Amino acid sequence: MFNVFIWLIAGIILTIIGTLGTCWGPGVKDPVVRTLNTEVASVGVSLILLCYNHTLALLTMIATSVICTLILLRAISRLEEMGADV
Amino acid sequence: MPVVPPYVPFEYINMYLPVIYTGLIIGFFSLMAIAMEKRDIHILILTDLVGFAMILIVASVGTDLAESFILPGLVVELAEILAISEILISREMRKIQSKDMNKSLSPMDMTYDMEILTTAPNFIALVLLAFGVFLTGFTGGAVAGGGILLYIFSRKTRGLPVVEIEGISGISGLGWCMWIIGFCIFFLMPQYWLLSLFLAAGGLMLKVATKMGIIGILMREEYGKK
Repeated sequence: MFNVFIWLIAGIILTIIGTLGTCWGPGVKDPVVRTLNTEVASVGVSLILLCYNHTLALLTMIATSVICTLILLRAISRLEEMGADV
Repeated sequence: MPVVPPYVPFEYINMYLPVIYTGLIIGFFSLMAIAMEKRDIHILILTDLVGFAMILIVASVGTDLAESFILPGLVVELAEILAISEILISREMRKIQSKDMNKSLSPMDMTYDMEILTTAPNFIALVLLAFGVFLTGFTGGAVAGGGILLYIFSRKTRGLPVVEIEGISGISGLGWCMWIIGFCIFFLMPQYWLLSLFLAAGGLMLKVATKMGIIGILMREEYGKK
């Protein structure tokens, strides 16, 4: 039998490390690095939702986190193109 | 003695404390980072993390109701990030234009030549659309919308007729009407519950798919420029 708690703890560790990486991690002066670091935290949250058997929430989470990254990257590249201070 | 409903499985009760503490820790860290950060775009990225904290706190309960509360939370967060990023871009445009009137604000030209964007999109979009229609509901809408997004994004022609954008908004409104009719039928004539369920699921799918299609048009306008 497999133990659900291994996956839960893996999800918790990934979420916290991703959050710390996004807040104060290396290279977060660059907004692109910061956006990509949020993906680590989102994978951790997905693992936790998987442990809870929240299928619909998990699928929606995957879809919205991808779209969020797209929107943020578009905003960042537009701002950099215009020469704004990012 | 905490009150736990009898239908919550035993494993979920054990998961409650670690997950809710994770949510609180993430919320604390990300709010502190927001307080320390000065630039707007970084604050927008960090709000994404506050959303995760919210999801974890709701999910820690482990009931079906909690799962259904996660979905609107995610969608509202997405809409919020989209709206605020648009506001940020237009504000920066105004700031730059007030300094130098002649500076060009239109996006840079970008030419990409990828095999997958010329041959595959028709097939992938079709498969995604079919799978989305099969799934229905919010998830199906997201999958079908991904197909529309990919298709629109890979077409090179610039500019979409206004009629088409208005048509997409019209379909979105139609989906909304279907959802409301399904909701009313569910309460007025409960014996037709299957019909109302499918009306609501189809309406939600149309709504989400057209919304994602509009995001695709938005991005194509800026990156697909020739």
